[in-house]
Amino acid sequence: MDYLRQVNAIIWKDLVVELRTRERVAAMGGFTVLVGILFNYAIDPTVVEPQAIAAGLIWMTIIFGGMLGLGRTFSLEEEEGAFQGILLSPIPRDAIFVGKVAANFIILTVVTALVFAVFALFFGLTFGGHPVALAGVVLLGILGFVALGTLFSAVSTRTSMGDTLLPILVFPLLIPVIIYGVTATATLFEGRPVAEVDGNIRMLGAFSAVALFAGAGLFRFVVEE
Amino acid sequence: MSAKIRWTGAVLGVLGLAMILVLHWMVFFWVPTERTMGVVQRIFYIHVPSAWVAFMAFGIVAVCSAIYLWLKDERLDMAAQSAAEGGILFTSIVLLTGPLWGRVAWGTWWTWEPRLTLTLLLWFIYVGYFLVRASTENPQRGKRFAAVVGIVGALDIPLIHLSVVWFRSLHPAPVVMKPEGPSLDPRMLATLFVGLGASTLIFLSFFLFRYGLERMRQASAHREMAPRETPAPEGAAQ
Repeated sequence: MDYLRQVNAIIWKDLVVELRTRERVAAMGGFTVLVGILFNYAIDPTVVEPQAIAAGLIWMTIIFGGMLGLGRTFSLEEEEGAFQGILLSPIPRDAIFVGKVAANFIILTVVTALVFAVFALFFGLTFGGHPVALAGVVLLGILGFVALGTLFSAVSTRTSMGDTLLPILVFPLLIPVIIYGVTATATLFEGRPVAEVDGNIRMLGAFSAVALFAGAGLFRFVVEE
Repeated sequence: MSAKIRWTGAVLGVLGLAMILVLHWMVFFWVPTERTMGVVQRIFYIHVPSAWVAFMAFGIVAVCSAIYLWLKDERLDMAAQSAAEGGILFTSIVLLTGPLWGRVAWGTWWTWEPRLTLTLLLWFIYVGYFLVRASTENPQRGKRFAAVVGIVGALDIPLIHLSVVWFRSLHPAPVVMKPEGPSLDPRMLATLFVGLGASTLIFLSFFLFRYGLERMRQASAHREMAPRETPAPEGAAQ
């Protein structure tokens, strides 16, 4: 019970900070809409049907946009020295990590919804007839992404390279999310039966579980001084 | 460098070099030419042993990193770093020899085949490992960060492997490690094993010398940090 309360405190703090500053959501949201506009000119719709590559476009936009926000997970606290305070509080390190992941997950879910809305609006995409399965695939995928990204954001914030290091650390490890996420999303967009993506959902779940547990276990070695 | 490390490294290195010479003789003059792929298949005896060493090295990195975080023994971090340096070297050899063969056998330098993709990603994980280490001002912090990268990388590699295999498979199927026994010509198999032995010995020799060097560096850093014994100034009491 105590553990849940501690996790909630971290989530609440991060979401309140985000609500007050709107820094990360604004950056990610702006990025998303602008990428939609750029894609419109980068992809010739008379050659490539946007619907045919929709799954890939959406996932890449989520990942690139998400990197912007994830990279700044700890930067505010690091600049103000506030992270020392959090470390001094009686909250265990793994609860801090879980709370940070959950807050990032909520923020990225909002951004993802925006990505879907923007792409539907700009490219007239349709998303197939399985909203629940689609939501499951996308949410499991971004959970794994957020868990990995939050752990390495704690690493990159404390290096001299900063956010620029984050993609180099995260992208190679993210291949399973991209492969299983994009293929499942494409299958569902085509309106094919949900049973075809069962395997993908299981693998995305396995990836998220590994990323979450590894992150929770290793986070204390990243923040210890 | 302690005499033991130096001697073991030297003996392994000389043995490895001798085996490399034998391997090249076998590859060029002894082993029969593969029927369908022709002479270019001979690169296999360099390529496969390098891949074996690349993945073994990453295993050493992961195990040493995990125990380092647990016990905080500097020697484990030095071992992980030394293994990673050997590992990225052999991963580079795999990535260089593969396309040379692929250009002739497959007609393309690169293809998104699972084992190729996995090796390239392994190379990038190694790059991340060194970048993290190099970009921290506090060396203790850099060691912990690198260990975290090594451990997460090792946990993720099986998942990456599963996903890329699931995505597409074009690479020649394994010819040695399969249930019904090797299907290679015995001479080819012998050459392959000499290659495996040679690259493993060369790697272990690199690893030991690199490790010994790191220990020397550490020892000299400690010496510089230790207070110098300065002669007492003249006239000072006692």
